[in-house]
Amino acid sequence: MKKKSADMKKGAEKKRTRVLGICCNWSPFACYLAAGMNRLAMPPDFRMMRVMCIGRINQALILRAFEYGADGVILLECLDDDCRYGPGPGVGHENVRRVRKLLHLLGVDQERLVECSFGAHEKEILVETLWRFDDQIKALGPMTEGDALGVKRSVL
Amino acid sequence: MSEIDRIIKDHSLFQCLECGKCSAACPRRLTGKDYSPRLLAHKVVAEREDEAFIENAVWDCLSCGMCSERCPSGVKFSGFILEMRTLLAEKKGLKGYRAHDGAVHSWMRMMAAPELRQNRLDWVPKELQVADSGEVAFFVGCAPYFDVFFAGIEVDTLSIAKDSIRLLNFMDIKPVLLRDERCCGHDLLWTGDRENFERLCRLNYETFKTKGLKEIIVSCPECYLMLSEHMPRVIPGFDIKVTLLLDMLQREVRKGGMTFRGLKRRATYQDPCRLGRMAGRYAAPRDLLGLIPEMRFAEMENSGPSALCCGNCGFINCDAHSKQIQVQRLQEAKATGADLLVTACPKCLIHLTCAVRDRLRHGSMKMEIRDILSVLADQIAWYGGE
Repeated sequence: MKKKSADMKKGAEKKRTRVLGICCNWSPFACYLAAGMNRLAMPPDFRMMRVMCIGRINQALILRAFEYGADGVILLECLDDDCRYGPGPGVGHENVRRVRKLLHLLGVDQERLVECSFGAHEKEILVETLWRFDDQIKALGPMTEGDALGVKRSVL
Repeated sequence: MSEIDRIIKDHSLFQCLECGKCSAACPRRLTGKDYSPRLLAHKVVAEREDEAFIENAVWDCLSCGMCSERCPSGVKFSGFILEMRTLLAEKKGLKGYRAHDGAVHSWMRMMAAPELRQNRLDWVPKELQVADSGEVAFFVGCAPYFDVFFAGIEVDTLSIAKDSIRLLNFMDIKPVLLRDERCCGHDLLWTGDRENFERLCRLNYETFKTKGLKEIIVSCPECYLMLSEHMPRVIPGFDIKVTLLLDMLQREVRKGGMTFRGLKRRATYQDPCRLGRMAGRYAAPRDLLGLIPEMRFAEMENSGPSALCCGNCGFINCDAHSKQIQVQRLQEAKATGADLLVTACPKCLIHLTCAVRDRLRHGSMKMEIRDILSVLADQIAWYGGE
């Protein structure tokens, strides 16, 4: 499964794209740890930011990832009923819906922002999702020739 | 001469007599915030070693211009704050607590990227007449973005743009709308990000030129201030006429032929700082509102040159004191007995609507707030028309 994606990557060696995953500390991070334990390969251009809950992330923080130079952002969240705090994934859905509208206005492809829910045992699905998202962003290409859309800053 | 010396000189801070009228009038000071324009002026002139104080105070100002209005010595305090912020931001980075976690500033900065191809005109309804090319354009501003972002507080800023175009159509003008229009950069400039402000100016000017425009019509006072005053400073040889829609309306109404349908409401008017104190347009909105028959108009306790700020500028430093200013303003509006608060700036509309919806006030602040252009667009008619 992973090999196929890795081969696809070799074919097109263009400017590197940068994918940011914002990961909830609970189910998705458990998947991520388990995937690491099982030595499942991760996309090399994937960076992860761990937060306690996706409900902590607001529209501004997602937008800022793009401002600072991310070419794709994926929100990794718990299943709706699994949230340790209650409303987390719901907040995530609403934020993604609204930020996608803003991205559309800006002329940024809405597919660059994705959210995905995981149960605590779904490490294979998580890794597969990340590879698929990485491929999707590679197909769309980098957002700009420069470092970032907004201020030139080497943040990511 | 150091950069600070130049800024002080350019804005006449040496003329300060320390009379304290600025601090006595500052809305932020009056709500109990530990901020004083007088003290900042003193520190910057005489005790510049107190860097921590100066660096904090410079970001606290609302830039509403009340201090300059009251100053007997002609100190240009808002301009001083603007340049100090630019200077400090270059040296120490952008400061000031950014409201909404800086989402507004993020999309404004993203607009400074030349490769961006926006889809900002999806909202234009079919019944409005707009042109693809021509010499006169309407500058929409950030309304489509605010409309998405502030959907949560049910404030409809896009209707101001729609009503502006309705008014233009009424005057037989089919404005060009620009797909590649960028933010005017007001908020970036006032939060110290001069680099991106200038980038936006250049991109906008390029768009104006490639479209072959001769005149830009603006409805938002902030866009007007940027395009008419600050953009020509960035772009040498700026040769595009910038017209404020309110001015244009006033001119056209004087020519005759137009009239307004009656509106049985009691209204009051909030002067936006960018339109009033900074652009000196006190009479135009009042004259136009005065033409609406059956509408009763009452001034608030503080109006015209001493109008109170809507509590926030450039989406930084919104705090409990901002809320208190807004509540005070709404109370003044209520005290006039008005049931309609008319304003002329989308930011005033957003900030005051936010305060009206404050849950702790249990709806006691409830009041309809509308933009002047929306009110006029609904009432305007030709003589002898239906």
